[in-house]
Amino acid sequence: MSGIEIFEIWIMAFVTLALFSFLYKDNPLYKIAEHVFAGLSAGYYFGLIWDTVIVTQLWQPMIGGKWELIIPGILGLLMFARFWPKYSWVSRVSLAFYMGTASGIFLTSQLHGLVLKQMQATMLPLVNGDGFGAAALAIIVVIGVISTLAYFYFSKEHTGALGVTAKVGIWFIMISFGAHFGYTVMGRVSLLIGRVQFLASDWIGSFSQIF
Amino acid sequence: MSFWDKMQNMDRRWVYLMVAVAVIIPFFATPDLPISITPEAQMLYDAVEAVPDSSTVFVVFDYYPSTIAECEPMAISALRHFYRKDCKVITLSNIPLGGPSMAERVTREIALEYDKVYGEDFVNLGYKANYVAVMSGMGTSIESIFPADNSGTPLSELPMMDSVVNYDQVAFIFEIADNATADYWVSIVNAQYGIPIGCGTTAVSAPKYYAFVGAGQFVGLLGGMKGAAEYELLIGHSGSAVLGMGAQSLVHLLIIFLVIVGNLGFFLGRRGKSGEIS
Repeated sequence: MSGIEIFEIWIMAFVTLALFSFLYKDNPLYKIAEHVFAGLSAGYYFGLIWDTVIVTQLWQPMIGGKWELIIPGILGLLMFARFWPKYSWVSRVSLAFYMGTASGIFLTSQLHGLVLKQMQATMLPLVNGDGFGAAALAIIVVIGVISTLAYFYFSKEHTGALGVTAKVGIWFIMISFGAHFGYTVMGRVSLLIGRVQFLASDWIGSFSQIF
Repeated sequence: MSFWDKMQNMDRRWVYLMVAVAVIIPFFATPDLPISITPEAQMLYDAVEAVPDSSTVFVVFDYYPSTIAECEPMAISALRHFYRKDCKVITLSNIPLGGPSMAERVTREIALEYDKVYGEDFVNLGYKANYVAVMSGMGTSIESIFPADNSGTPLSELPMMDSVVNYDQVAFIFEIADNATADYWVSIVNAQYGIPIGCGTTAVSAPKYYAFVGAGQFVGLLGGMKGAAEYELLIGHSGSAVLGMGAQSLVHLLIIFLVIVGNLGFFLGRRGKSGEIS
């Protein structure tokens, strides 16, 4: 392990422990780590976008002869008009262009890729050779989808048949929340385990190199 | 103040301490707890196995450094699986903060195990802003979106990229994500180009993506550290995820115990108070 690697590990360990110290109570070490992270992220992001977008995708191709790229370049510059209230309307040209293209791309991809495919997966044949279990699951999926949609139907008071269906929908929603919460707990614990693994192996492992 | 009242008003820092102890103990005394393989993880493993040897595949590093504990073991296992099959691996990232450098580090580390050469067996395209444009554009030409790799080497100078023009030459996409970019791989790339996609995601995101497996839009799914541990077992190469599952199980048992105690305290404490009033 080289000296610079050990130095990196110690910085990582310091920042990890500084952030964990918040669990006891707020303190200056935590604040230092938090502010350093915010500053570094902003600087890194700016540098990355400058290099990967402005330089390699706009400036270099443009001076290489792709002069048509001046149009998106100008559209991007127009966004800065928002800093001057008198001329801020100019930025709407860029926003209108962006919203138009984004809507066109998203409308077809979301509809085709997400809505229709998911609807198709709800319309399952009950007799498909996979046995009783698969048929029962298909029925549960259909009941779950219809009752949950009924819960979110607000144009009629939730009484009678609609009320009963909406109540079933609430049960499905609650079960879904429970599953999400369980997974969230698992995810957060995993992150803690990851940090403890780092401290126990990399950081404590570096002690033997130093002492 | 009764015992149950004390439990109700316990300082939350005691809970943090208990969780910390439960996480640390397994590092000294590894509990031998079984890890079952879920059908979704098995489906993903089978789908990767079905990819013809020497095919070109994508391994996408769409996760931030904050979720390394869950996502990196998946990336490592996926790379080992693909390298073992002699596949040509293209990595990229739609995450600016850390994605490209994590891809660079992990792919090079695992490549050493399998004697893979950069530019011939694997290439890191790096990061490019606006993932919707990136995913759509690569359908026409990968080189138009990534004229150079992560280190600035033009793709034309990398022998592996000679035969890779667009998605037509890509046999499989292994998306590892801790955010909604997985949705766009489905809605843009899978829906429009029909490339099979396997997904490894954080536990927080996993419930959402089971619906994608059900609809056949993902060929399989790894959910959180548990999913990563399953994949490590499936490829026969245990790593940090399998090691972490002991602590995971112990903390889950602790949380179940605390939920039961908390609820008992709530109900018994309330009963005691109603008894005092009557």
